[in-house]
Amino acid sequence: MNSITRSRTLRQRVRTAGVGPWLLLPAAVLLAVFVYRPLFRGVELSFFGSDLIGNPSRFVGLANWVEFFTTPDFQRTLWTSLLIAVLAMCMSVGVALSCVLLLRRWLPGRGFFQVVFSLPFAYSAASASAVFFGLFAPSVGGVNLLLDGIGIDGPPWLQQPAWAIFSIAATTAWYESGFAFLVLIAAIKNVPEELIEAAELDGASGGRLSWSILIPLMRPSLVFLLVTQTISGLQTFTQVYVLTRGGPSNTTTTLVFQLYQLAFGQGTPDFGRASVIGVFLVIVVGLVTLVQFRITHRKDA
Amino acid sequence: MVLAQPSTPKRTRRPAARLRTLRAGDVARFAVVLVLMLLMGFPLYMTFATGLFPNGVLVRSGLFPPLNQLTLDNVALAVRSIPLGSQYVVSLCVVVIQTLAQLVTAALAAYALVFPRWRGRAIAFGLVIATLAVPGESLVIPNYELVSQIGLRDTIFGIVVPFLAVGYPIFLLRQAFASLPLELWEAARLDGCGDVRALFLVIMPACRNQVTTAAMWSALAAWNGFFWPLLITDSPANRTVQVGLSQLVTAETTTPSVIFAGTALVLLPTVILVIVSQRLLVSGLASGAVK
Repeated sequence: MNSITRSRTLRQRVRTAGVGPWLLLPAAVLLAVFVYRPLFRGVELSFFGSDLIGNPSRFVGLANWVEFFTTPDFQRTLWTSLLIAVLAMCMSVGVALSCVLLLRRWLPGRGFFQVVFSLPFAYSAASASAVFFGLFAPSVGGVNLLLDGIGIDGPPWLQQPAWAIFSIAATTAWYESGFAFLVLIAAIKNVPEELIEAAELDGASGGRLSWSILIPLMRPSLVFLLVTQTISGLQTFTQVYVLTRGGPSNTTTTLVFQLYQLAFGQGTPDFGRASVIGVFLVIVVGLVTLVQFRITHRKDA
Repeated sequence: MVLAQPSTPKRTRRPAARLRTLRAGDVARFAVVLVLMLLMGFPLYMTFATGLFPNGVLVRSGLFPPLNQLTLDNVALAVRSIPLGSQYVVSLCVVVIQTLAQLVTAALAAYALVFPRWRGRAIAFGLVIATLAVPGESLVIPNYELVSQIGLRDTIFGIVVPFLAVGYPIFLLRQAFASLPLELWEAARLDGCGDVRALFLVIMPACRNQVTTAAMWSALAAWNGFFWPLLITDSPANRTVQVGLSQLVTAETTTPSVIFAGTALVLLPTVILVIVSQRLLVSGLASGAVK
C-alpha cells in the first residue's frame, strides 16, 4: 500500500472517528430545554385560562387568541410597540449614520467624537432608563430645570401620552445609537478607498458622495441595523418599566410590558393570555428575520 | 482613548498633511458634528457629573458648578438606599458563570459543527441558528415555571441557568473555526490529539480574537440582563445591579442625584470595557453583524 492512499484513509478516519459530534451535546441539551421546550409550552399555554389561584388549568381553546385580535386594548398595545420601535430605530440609525458620514474624513477632535458617539453602547436598557428618568422626571428632571433656567417651560415628558412615547423612544434610540455607530464605522471602513477617490475626481463630494456611493455600499449593515433595532424595539420592556410603568392611563403599555403585567403583575397570574403575546412575538420576529435573510442573501447570490 | 489616532499606516497623517485635507465646508461639518456631540454626550455628562454634587446643584448652576461643592454623599446614599454592594457581587457571579459556561458550550458546539463529518450536521446548525431569531421575552413564562419547579427561584443559579448555552457565541465561534484551514485540525489529530485537546490547544488559540469578541459579548449580555433577573429573584439582596437600578429609581424619585450616582457605579465596568476594547468591538461587530 503506497503512502498516499494510506494517508488518505487515515485522513478519512480522522474526519469520521472520535467523539467530535458528541461535543454538541451540552449546547444541544441546554437549547432544547431552555429555548425549544418553552416555545412549544408557550403555544400550549396560550390555549389555557387561569383558575382562581392563577394556575393555567382551564382549557379555553382559541378564546385567548380571539380576545387578543379583537379587543381594542391589545390593538393599542400593538400599535404603541410598533410606534416606539420604528421611532427609536429611525432616530438611532439616523443619528449614527449622520455621525459616521460626517466623521469619515479627518476633523479636529475626531477621536474624541468617536468615543462619545460609541459610549452609549456601554449602557444597558436599565441604566439608560435610569439616566433618562433623571433627565425627564416630573418637577425634578434635569432637562426641564435647565430649560427653566433660560425661561422656557419644558414639556411634561413622562406625563402626557405623546411625550411619554417620545421619551421612551428617545431613551431607546440614545443607547442603541452606540451599537449602530460601531457597526456603521466598521462598514464605512470597508468601502474601497479607490471608489471614493474616483467619485471625488468626478466631482462628487459631501451629500452626493454619501448618497450615491457610501450609503449603497453600506447597505447590508444598514439593513441589518434596520431589522435588528426594529425587532428589539418591538420587545421594549425595561424603558417602560422604569420610566412610565405603562402610564399615563396605559398609553405607553407595550406588548412585553403587557405580557409582564398579565403573568407577573399585581392581579391573578394569567399565563394563558400572556403566552398569546409571547407566541405572537415569536411569529412576528421570525417573519421579519426571514424577510431580512432573503433580502441580504439574494444580493450575495 | 484607543480610537484617538487611527493606527493603520495608510490612515496616519502628519499634522501638516492633515491641515491640507481640510476643505471648504469643513467648518460647517465641524459645527454639525459638535451639535450632535453635545446632544448625544449630554446624557453621558449628566450620568457621571450629577452624582458628584448635592442634589439639584449641577443643573441650577448651569451644568458647571464650583468644584468645592464636589461630594461623594450621593454614592453613599445610593448604596444605603438599595443593597448595591451585594447586588454587585450577584452580578459579578452571573457574569463569570454565564461567560465561562457560554464560551465552553459554544466552543464545544462550534467544534462539532465544523470539523468532524457526521449525518445531521447541517440540520443541527440550522436549529442552533434558528434560536437567534427567538425573542427571549417569549420564553420567560415556561422557563419561570421550570426554574421555580426545580427550586432555583431567587438564586444566582436560577438567574444563569437559561443562559448557559446561547446561539450567538456558538454562531461567532462556528464562523471563526470554519475560516481556519482544515489541515490545521487534521495535523493536530494525526499527531494524536484527541478532539477535546485539539479544540483547546490548537483551534481556540488560533481564533484568539473571535474568542475574545464572543467572551465580551457574553459578559456584556450577562451584566446588562434585566427582564429574566427581575422575574426570577425576589429578595433585594439577591437581585442583579440592573434590577437594583430600577428599584433605586422607584426609591429615590425626588432625588435624581442619588439615581445618577448609583447608575454611574453600575456603568463603570462596561464604560471602561467599551473604551479599552473599542477597536476589537468594531472588528468583532463587523464580522458578526452582516451574514
